[in-house]
Amino acid sequence: MTKSAIATDNLSKSYGSTLALDALSLEVAAGEVFGLLGHNGAGKTTTVNVLTTLLEPTQGDAEVAGHSVIADARAVRGAIGYLPENVQFYDNLTLIENLRFFAELSGLRRPDQRIRDVLRILDFEGRDRQRLGTFSKGMRQRVGIAQAILHAPSVLFLDEPTSGLDPEGVRTLRETIVRLNSEFGMTIFMNTHLLSEVTKTCTSIGILRGGTLVHHDTLAKTLADFPGEDSLEEIYFQLESEPVS
Amino acid sequence: MSSTWVIASKELLDLRRDRLFAVLIGFLAIATLISVGVAAAAFRTELDAYNLYVQQLTASGSTTPPAAPQLFPLQLLRGGVEYLEILGALFAIVLGYGTVAKEKYRGTLQLLLSRPVGRFAIPAGKVLGLAVVWLVVVAVLTVLTTLAILVIGNAPLQGIDVARILIAAVVAWVYLVFWSSLAIGITALSPRLSTGLIVSIVVWLAFVLIVPQIGDTMDPDNQVPGGLFATLQIQKPDELKVLANFAAFDGIRNGLEVSSITKHFERLSFAFLGIKDKYNQQPLGLVWTDMWGYAITLAAATLASVTFAVGATTRRNLQRKIS
Repeated sequence: MTKSAIATDNLSKSYGSTLALDALSLEVAAGEVFGLLGHNGAGKTTTVNVLTTLLEPTQGDAEVAGHSVIADARAVRGAIGYLPENVQFYDNLTLIENLRFFAELSGLRRPDQRIRDVLRILDFEGRDRQRLGTFSKGMRQRVGIAQAILHAPSVLFLDEPTSGLDPEGVRTLRETIVRLNSEFGMTIFMNTHLLSEVTKTCTSIGILRGGTLVHHDTLAKTLADFPGEDSLEEIYFQLESEPVS
Repeated sequence: MSSTWVIASKELLDLRRDRLFAVLIGFLAIATLISVGVAAAAFRTELDAYNLYVQQLTASGSTTPPAAPQLFPLQLLRGGVEYLEILGALFAIVLGYGTVAKEKYRGTLQLLLSRPVGRFAIPAGKVLGLAVVWLVVVAVLTVLTTLAILVIGNAPLQGIDVARILIAAVVAWVYLVFWSSLAIGITALSPRLSTGLIVSIVVWLAFVLIVPQIGDTMDPDNQVPGGLFATLQIQKPDELKVLANFAAFDGIRNGLEVSSITKHFERLSFAFLGIKDKYNQQPLGLVWTDMWGYAITLAAATLASVTFAVGATTRRNLQRKIS
């Protein structure tokens, strides 16, 4: 049996009287690229925020990389990498200063060699002395990936990683995600709207609707279960509109 | 390297390249230098008037010169102390607020909170960073004003004067750390960042401007320019006898003044620099004997403010600012 990198148990999150996440029970196996789909307000970002310990769940618990997000939140933070939607940095600082800051906060004692390795992986060589304020949106997303993988996390959370990127930026980021998964064995949990990207990168998907998980399966099985549909987009809209069982 | 120091180092690097910070500190430095220049000009005018008076007396055949005005180099720092007292506190609030608010506005708060750092690392790092920033700022201002006394004021300084300036610099540093820490704590506690800034400025307004001003206004000696008792040529022992009849009133006035940490800073600075006549040219030990209560209160208040900042800037309070 494949070990779970992420396992949630009856996980709920409310904002006042609004239930954003409703009793989510989900498992993502180690080494998977999992895509969480859903309309705006479906609870995707809330799910990532709870799993990355940025928010405390109202009910239930989750294990990420073997650690409880409630009882052992700090250990979770040490084991994960996180790229928020519209990632921002300290624009007054250079690329290497930003990365050194996040690497040291992640507990790396002498991070310079690791930073050089990551810059090479993400094709940033020669730009390390530039201030982040001069970087394009696509480059900043890649810097976002860089800061997330500095400490070689076992699980990587990406919240709308392709948001606002041009087609070239989307392709570069997709190649990076696939590479991180295939070469470094990272489990990747990704929120996205871009269904075309999901088919190219994800091994399994989940669909959230109004905070409830309405579908969870491998991408291959999902596609096989809907032989009459031509694309994931059609399957997505069909699943999204079905009544919750 | 501990997470606290990592965060503090980032604050230092960030502020070093921050234009608003450069403008604020540049303004403070220029205002302080101008105040030394203005005070030096006033001293020269007073001295010229005295010399002219002596000449006229000598010309009229008098052989008894009038008492010379009591002018001492460190008194040139009065304006600088007052700028730090008012503007310095305001700038300290702006920086304290900014160190929390910028993480939210820049969108870096999520990245910061996603790191495996200890419970107190983020607030302690921010307070430590600002404490070091103020240490550098106060050191630079101290050097500038000391040079200004020598060059603009053309006044010689002795070793004891330098010691007095250094003591005043330490007092100023503690005072500025107090305000920055208070602003960090209030901003972290406030549900909205703008509320944090407004509450901090209201506290500043109350305890830096309004309360000390009420105390000053109630002071009978401030009712006439130059001092009521001095104008009436009432000597100190007689002044004390008069004031003894208003002990309750004076107790309230003094109580109001010392309820403000700003007044503690001002009294300490004025005493050690000899700006307050009573302490002018007095040995440091004597000044300390009179002022230690103020020093302890200022230190305790700053310690409380730092504790408040570290205690209030909880993970939960910061998380609330993400959504």
